[in-house]
Amino acid sequence: MADEEKILEVRDLTVKVGNVALVENISFAVKKGETVLVIGPNGAGKTTLFRALIGSVPYFGEVKWGEGASIGYVPQKVDLERDLPITVREFFMLKTGNIGEAEVKEALLDVKLESEYAEKGISELSSGELQRILIAWAVLGHPKVLLFDEPTASIDVAGQETIYELLHNLQDTHDLTLIMISHDLTVVYKYATQVLCLNKEQICFGSPREVLTPEELSKLYGPELTFYHHLH
Amino acid sequence: MAAGLSLTYILIAGSFIAAAGGLLGSFALLRRMALVGDALSHVALPGIAIALMLNLNILWGSAVFLVVGTFFIWLVENKTKLPVDTVVGVFFALSLAIGALLATEEEILDALFGSIVDLSISDFWIAAILSLAIIIFILNYSKRFALTFISNDLARSTGLKPSILELGFLLIFALAVAVGIKLVGALLMGSVIIIPAAASRNIARSFNSYLFMSALIGVFASIAAILLSINYDLTPGPAFVLVAGALFFISIFFRKN
Repeated sequence: MADEEKILEVRDLTVKVGNVALVENISFAVKKGETVLVIGPNGAGKTTLFRALIGSVPYFGEVKWGEGASIGYVPQKVDLERDLPITVREFFMLKTGNIGEAEVKEALLDVKLESEYAEKGISELSSGELQRILIAWAVLGHPKVLLFDEPTASIDVAGQETIYELLHNLQDTHDLTLIMISHDLTVVYKYATQVLCLNKEQICFGSPREVLTPEELSKLYGPELTFYHHLH
Repeated sequence: MAAGLSLTYILIAGSFIAAAGGLLGSFALLRRMALVGDALSHVALPGIAIALMLNLNILWGSAVFLVVGTFFIWLVENKTKLPVDTVVGVFFALSLAIGALLATEEEILDALFGSIVDLSISDFWIAAILSLAIIIFILNYSKRFALTFISNDLARSTGLKPSILELGFLLIFALAVAVGIKLVGALLMGSVIIIPAAASRNIARSFNSYLFMSALIGVFASIAAILLSINYDLTPGPAFVLVAGALFFISIFFRKN
């Protein structure tokens, strides 16, 4: 992979709390325009990996972003207080400073919401709407990379499909490199160009068809997968 | 009015202090530090006692102790990962004890409950200028503070440095407490910061109105408290808390959602 194509290179990344490693020896590289899916069981360190990528937790090893690689980040959840007095437009302004009417409209359109949402309070939004607003917020100012941490709960399957399509469209219109955490293996086959399997250590990295063999999957989800087999 | 300053001066100083406190309180509530902020204000007490012993303006004594104490609390919190309320709880008790040992009973009462009606002309200018500086600083950094306190991770993803912003906020907080001690005293300064913002939060729908109403409710309560305390010979600090507290209870009835 030529250096100028790389937008992210991670080498021997380890995040520790005390003596316990949350993720250990992760190495991978991402090219511009790719869709990388990070999969792994609960507690595998997926969110920790993201937080290391944005510099939110201290880490060992190397995280090298390509030149000018601005990042948009959609966290798994934002602990907003229910009565937080802030409108969607004001929430956007926390990132951009002053923002024009057209920009607000465009940002909302990006996530398939009508322009009336600009004046809604953040606390009035449903969890699905809030997630869209967080995505719109993340792509404000046209970052080159979008990190998307999928929520584990609270959004139904139909809703989830729309979110993936929406992200896919955004990727085309905004020329984004997309790195996302998913719990849904069907998404991997549909959208991913690369997949990173994580269970504290790196289990695999490569294109989905190459690396997602039954052996790798049982290594990744091992005991749980066996458990399901017993059930059926 | 012992120092002979006219009522206008006292009202202006009270308004400035309350506006700065209310504005600061909006962010303190976002940071969920209502009680921490309240306890933090007691760290001023030993400084006040020492200033009184050395015949200095109590504002300087309290400012030095608050700023140093706040920095120390930030340091301990960041280095040891102890919860901030544990750290502040220990500091609060230590400060109160040291303050009580160093000062006489009457001085302590003034320091605890404030005496803005004894304002001197230098007190006036210090309060007005420092409050204005705090207001300008907070408004200038309002978006960065808001984003940091709403979500550390979102702030970091845009390149902000949350720990530096938090230290900046705590130091400004300490300064506001030092300035406000003259109005309501160390024991009740937390109320100048918390109660107007809490009332405003009940009624505001947007962030701009939240900030504006916090400052406005603070100013209103401050003016009402000063007038009440002069006319009925009350201590201004508790009078402020009663007026602001009443406004808070009224605001509950106008609560959105």
